[in-house]
Amino acid sequence: MIHPRILSSINQDEFFGRDAEARDILRQSSSAGDARGLVLMATPDAGASELLRQAYDQLFARRGDPVPIHFAFKRSDTTAANTARRFFQILLQQLVAYRRVNPSLCKTTLTFHDLLELALPSDYELINNLIEGFEREQGSERTLIDYCLSLPNRLHAEGRAIYPLIDCTRIGPFKEEVATGHQLVTELSRGGLQFVLAGLRRQTNDLIHGPDEGEWEANATLHIDSLSETSAQALLESLARRYGIDLNTPTRDLILQQLKCSPLFITEFMRAARGTEAKLTSFLACQRLYVDELLGGRIQRHFDRILQVIAPGAQIKRTLLRVLYESAMSETRKSSLWTWKKRLGVAAHEFEHVIEALHVYELVNSTAAFIEVNSESYVWMDYLRAHYRVEVSAEPRAKVVATTLLETLKRAPQTMTRKYRREAAVGLHSLLPQFNCQSVPASLFHYERFAAAYKGEDVTTIDEGLDAETELIQLPQVIQTSACASYSSTINCDHERCVVAHAFESAEYTDEDEVVWLAAEIDSKLAASRELTEEWCNRLAGFARESGFARYRIWLITPEGFSERAVELLNEREAFGSSRQQVQLLAARLSEDTEVVESKSDEYEMIIPMGVDTELIAASTVEKIARRVKFRPEAINQIKTAVIEACINAAEHSLSPDRKIYQRFVVEDDKLVVTVASRGVVPAQAPGQNGLSGDIDQNGGKTRRGWGLKLIRTLMDEVEFEHVDDGTQLRMTKYIR
Amino acid sequence: MAETDRETSIQTRAVGDAAIIYASDYLNKLTGERIERECRRQFDSGRRTLIINFRDTELINSIGVSILVGLIDAAEQNTARLIFSDVNSNTANLFEMLGLTRHVSVAANEDEALSWVERDSAATA
Repeated sequence: MIHPRILSSINQDEFFGRDAEARDILRQSSSAGDARGLVLMATPDAGASELLRQAYDQLFARRGDPVPIHFAFKRSDTTAANTARRFFQILLQQLVAYRRVNPSLCKTTLTFHDLLELALPSDYELINNLIEGFEREQGSERTLIDYCLSLPNRLHAEGRAIYPLIDCTRIGPFKEEVATGHQLVTELSRGGLQFVLAGLRRQTNDLIHGPDEGEWEANATLHIDSLSETSAQALLESLARRYGIDLNTPTRDLILQQLKCSPLFITEFMRAARGTEAKLTSFLACQRLYVDELLGGRIQRHFDRILQVIAPGAQIKRTLLRVLYESAMSETRKSSLWTWKKRLGVAAHEFEHVIEALHVYELVNSTAAFIEVNSESYVWMDYLRAHYRVEVSAEPRAKVVATTLLETLKRAPQTMTRKYRREAAVGLHSLLPQFNCQSVPASLFHYERFAAAYKGEDVTTIDEGLDAETELIQLPQVIQTSACASYSSTINCDHERCVVAHAFESAEYTDEDEVVWLAAEIDSKLAASRELTEEWCNRLAGFARESGFARYRIWLITPEGFSERAVELLNEREAFGSSRQQVQLLAARLSEDTEVVESKSDEYEMIIPMGVDTELIAASTVEKIARRVKFRPEAINQIKTAVIEACINAAEHSLSPDRKIYQRFVVEDDKLVVTVASRGVVPAQAPGQNGLSGDIDQNGGKTRRGWGLKLIRTLMDEVEFEHVDDGTQLRMTKYIR
Repeated sequence: MAETDRETSIQTRAVGDAAIIYASDYLNKLTGERIERECRRQFDSGRRTLIINFRDTELINSIGVSILVGLIDAAEQNTARLIFSDVNSNTANLFEMLGLTRHVSVAANEDEALSWVERDSAATA
């Protein structure tokens, strides 16, 4: 059920990727017993504020105890007293709104007199007393703040169950600004209330523990990071539909990769596109809009605001931009604190402020000794580069616009390549931790043995052969995996494809058993040559030396295995070598739940135009797929006929704008799942849609049309017809028997 | 099965009073309408026994079936006899599923269909 918006900025059905977190927040409201807070540790711009607002709206609509209260700290709260006054007012107002079942009161400007007028008779006396107390405490700012922030506990003590949702993500980045938030959190933790606290993840410790390291522990912590690619895609596509912006799959993916799935940047980017009525159907159009945003739009405003908070004043901002830029462009992107302080040229207190704020907003990563510019965000790095050139180097703006556009356009294909490579990786980060001291056939790590025994054999034969093998390898227990690139900036490799895994060779946690596995997935169209293998062995051995690993094991993975000479080298180096197929077999043995990308290998997609007899192309394709998985001839024909009917149905009944039929064929262990989708709307009472007519004898005679869905339902084992966001989709399943 | 260049004309053969019409490899709207046109032409020329031979038909879709249903109607209205022959098992299952077989005779092959025609002619002579 979709609830009307009260505090939320977007409709519930357009809020993507936070269902689990929203459920946790709702569940916390009614959890009995050990009452403590749920802490949301959010990365900047991950949408934690909207999550709290969505949760509030859902709790309001749910109408159960306790009363939800939402309060968000604002950067415009200039003093603690102002924040406390606003908190007091909002809390009472939301209490009255909830009790009156009148959401509009949450947003209306109300005086205390209005609140008393609107209060339920049963609440009147309590609210009146609280307001009198508020007015009484006006004389002292300190006691007024204490009084206001203790309001949740006062209500709780009076038997009014409330559930505060406190948003601290907009609190200032400096420690002294966190003080009011910390005081409120401390009050809440003392009062035996369930509550939720959202803060930037690098600030939540200060919010919870404060300067005096207060003793309070959250009973649960949720991490709110950027959206998953699926959710970000759903958000982007939803905004494109809402704003009527044309996208295509490549531009959609480029936008998501470039904006790193940040809901804030995606939303702002699409709003900008709406404003310019740009069609985002080419990389050029996307990057043009992106550069406009970097140098004069919403993205610029976003970073300008942050830098204004951190470094108010034109001169200090310019200096900061220069230091940030030069650090970012250095090889390691890392400088000592001392270097930064010297180059910024500000007083110690101000320097601490600047670094603290840059760290909280995740523009840099700072430790006690070093500062490293956060280069993971394309948007931040692009902003930094462009604004350094305009504001520090004083380059002509037009030139910066042009060169930034050129650079981002040249980068676009590389960005997409990285995405594709990431998605095609075997998933070493998830595979290695599954080793867990298990014993597996040795041939899975020795390509030559595997090739000699199983090359050209079918999966069943290979599985049987592996089951029968007597030579086994006991894998280590991997306790931690990281990208090699996280250890060293000199090893040139993908994060997902080159992994360092710290492990123990048995469950004995001793120095003797400690070992490091260095696993790398390397590119080679054919069997990897000795030269390529040697290059990688040397690279990883150098990395091991540089990292000080006493004992290590190299494991190379290639798509097609290794040449004979490469195998000799692997044996000389006591390194393991596997083909992708071996890794997939290994993954299957280690766990049924493996996340290795193998599952996608049996998925086929095709798009056919709606045209004369094009459904035969789909039928022919599905026939070939069905043959591969050994369906009986009769079943194959049934699947073909069902696919033909589904295509005809899509062509006949959808007012498709692109006149295309999208098909996916997924082979699973025991079934084939065929999805046929088309964009557009289905006209009312389209015969294929209702699927009611069916038999020749219906309606007292011979019906002439509308057997499509009936046929499909008869021919396939499971059929689901559904409207999706932008059209219709028919999902048909046939089991292998 | 050819996916393109499907024959634009329908192959027919007259055997006595009957006409045999050969359906193509894929019976869809287009090829179904060609059969329909040919059948109506035969009815108009006074032919009262039509055999539709499905020996080449590998696939048939619901639009093709609906056209066949129209032909069954047309045959009734013209007091003509319609026989399907050489229907493969998949197509036969489809006809069965949709209830067509209750309204039309289905012969195993052309010879059987012609024998039924002969028998009927003898009975009415």
